[in-house]
Amino acid sequence: MQRFFFNKRLIIVLITLIIGFVLVAFSVTVRNNKSTPPIIQQFGNDAAGLVDRVVSYPISAVGNVGGAVEDLLNTYQENQKLKKQVDSLASEKVSNQTIRKENAALKKQLKLNKSLTNYTAVTSYVIARTPSSWQNQIIISKGSLAGVKKNAAVLSDKGLVGRVTEVNKTNSKVELISTTNDDADRFATTIITDDGSVNGLITSYNADTNRLIMGQIDSQKTMKKGDKVITSGMGGNSPQGIYVGTVMKVEKDDYGLASKVEIKPAADLTNLNIVTVAKRTD
Amino acid sequence: MRVSKIRYYYPLGLFIALFLDGTLSNIFAGNFFTANLSIESRLFLLWVVMSVFFAKVEHPFFWAIAVGLTFDLFFTGIIGPFFMLVPLILYLTRVMYSFFTPSFIVVLLIYLIDIALFTLLFYWINVLIGFTSVSLASFISGTLGPTLAFNLAVFVILYLPIKGLMEMSSR
Repeated sequence: MQRFFFNKRLIIVLITLIIGFVLVAFSVTVRNNKSTPPIIQQFGNDAAGLVDRVVSYPISAVGNVGGAVEDLLNTYQENQKLKKQVDSLASEKVSNQTIRKENAALKKQLKLNKSLTNYTAVTSYVIARTPSSWQNQIIISKGSLAGVKKNAAVLSDKGLVGRVTEVNKTNSKVELISTTNDDADRFATTIITDDGSVNGLITSYNADTNRLIMGQIDSQKTMKKGDKVITSGMGGNSPQGIYVGTVMKVEKDDYGLASKVEIKPAADLTNLNIVTVAKRTD
Repeated sequence: MRVSKIRYYYPLGLFIALFLDGTLSNIFAGNFFTANLSIESRLFLLWVVMSVFFAKVEHPFFWAIAVGLTFDLFFTGIIGPFFMLVPLILYLTRVMYSFFTPSFIVVLLIYLIDIALFTLLFYWINVLIGFTSVSLASFISGTLGPTLAFNLAVFVILYLPIKGLMEMSSR
């Protein structure tokens, strides 16, 4: 008994384990608070971010050259495909511009200065991805100094990719929508169907098939494959109208009541170089 | 007394390896994190394990805790897992080292055990805090297998360069 208690090594191991698990529990609990991380942690993260940028710069440069060569090989086929799209795009752009102008004029008449679709964009590049299977997280190069806010929506050029979970001074962590984390905040989304819009929440992600699962659906309107899904702007964090993906499959849930919708995400979550943080202006 | 260069090279290499993990994971995300497999790059662990065999490092546990904390703060935001696991792996490696004379095969096998244990414990912690609900079976085929394969391949490539560097700068 005497020996057991005075075994120095055992005591060190036990104390380390206790401190470790207390820290884990603590950081999981305060993760979603508005005020985390504290200043000291921010300082450490900023320093680490600075070093990371220096280390990753040459590697990224080499990676970009590899990507450029690959792009060059695909250019011909891509060109053929794109030519077909360009014509229709021009007319769409014109009508889009007209509608935008009309929208601005109408908003002015209604004295509606801010609405859910307004946001300011903060563009930043991705400095690293968490080397872990369990955290689908990237680290981006802009922080609170550039105006990034916690819980803001993050999008790539194709669509929604995730939300900001931690803001430091000069870098931030972004949790991708492919996360399976239990206590991640979920996005409120809208499906645009032929007979009106259907609201719901992104409830989970299926990694095997790369599909987002949307649940909590509030209406019985008919949805079909190919319908577009956008963020609804409800819940206060993301602006309205960010493209999420397209509907792939609609099925009733286990009790035959509400529907469960499988969505194919528009953004490629494994190829992120530049992302935009959408900061709501209201 | 002459100060050996490893005093400066060890922390430098350790943190470069740590940040390289993040950068490689980002650039090769398309190959590292797919539907069927995910690879966790652990270059810094290779550096730690090799230093046990081929370098005379001062305060190895201090650096193990420092690198673990940096990983937790910077990459995951969940403080604790690496803070505990990196010193643990360092300790285990030192215990195993006392039974063997280092050769390529011996270091390879010890590194294999280290990576397997590290990945398993990290998975277990993430199950505990609800960050994943992957079953043990699909963890073994989806993460453990590819992670071991990748890290052992890196080990085979980098064994001689790191060994040379460490032995040279430890003199």
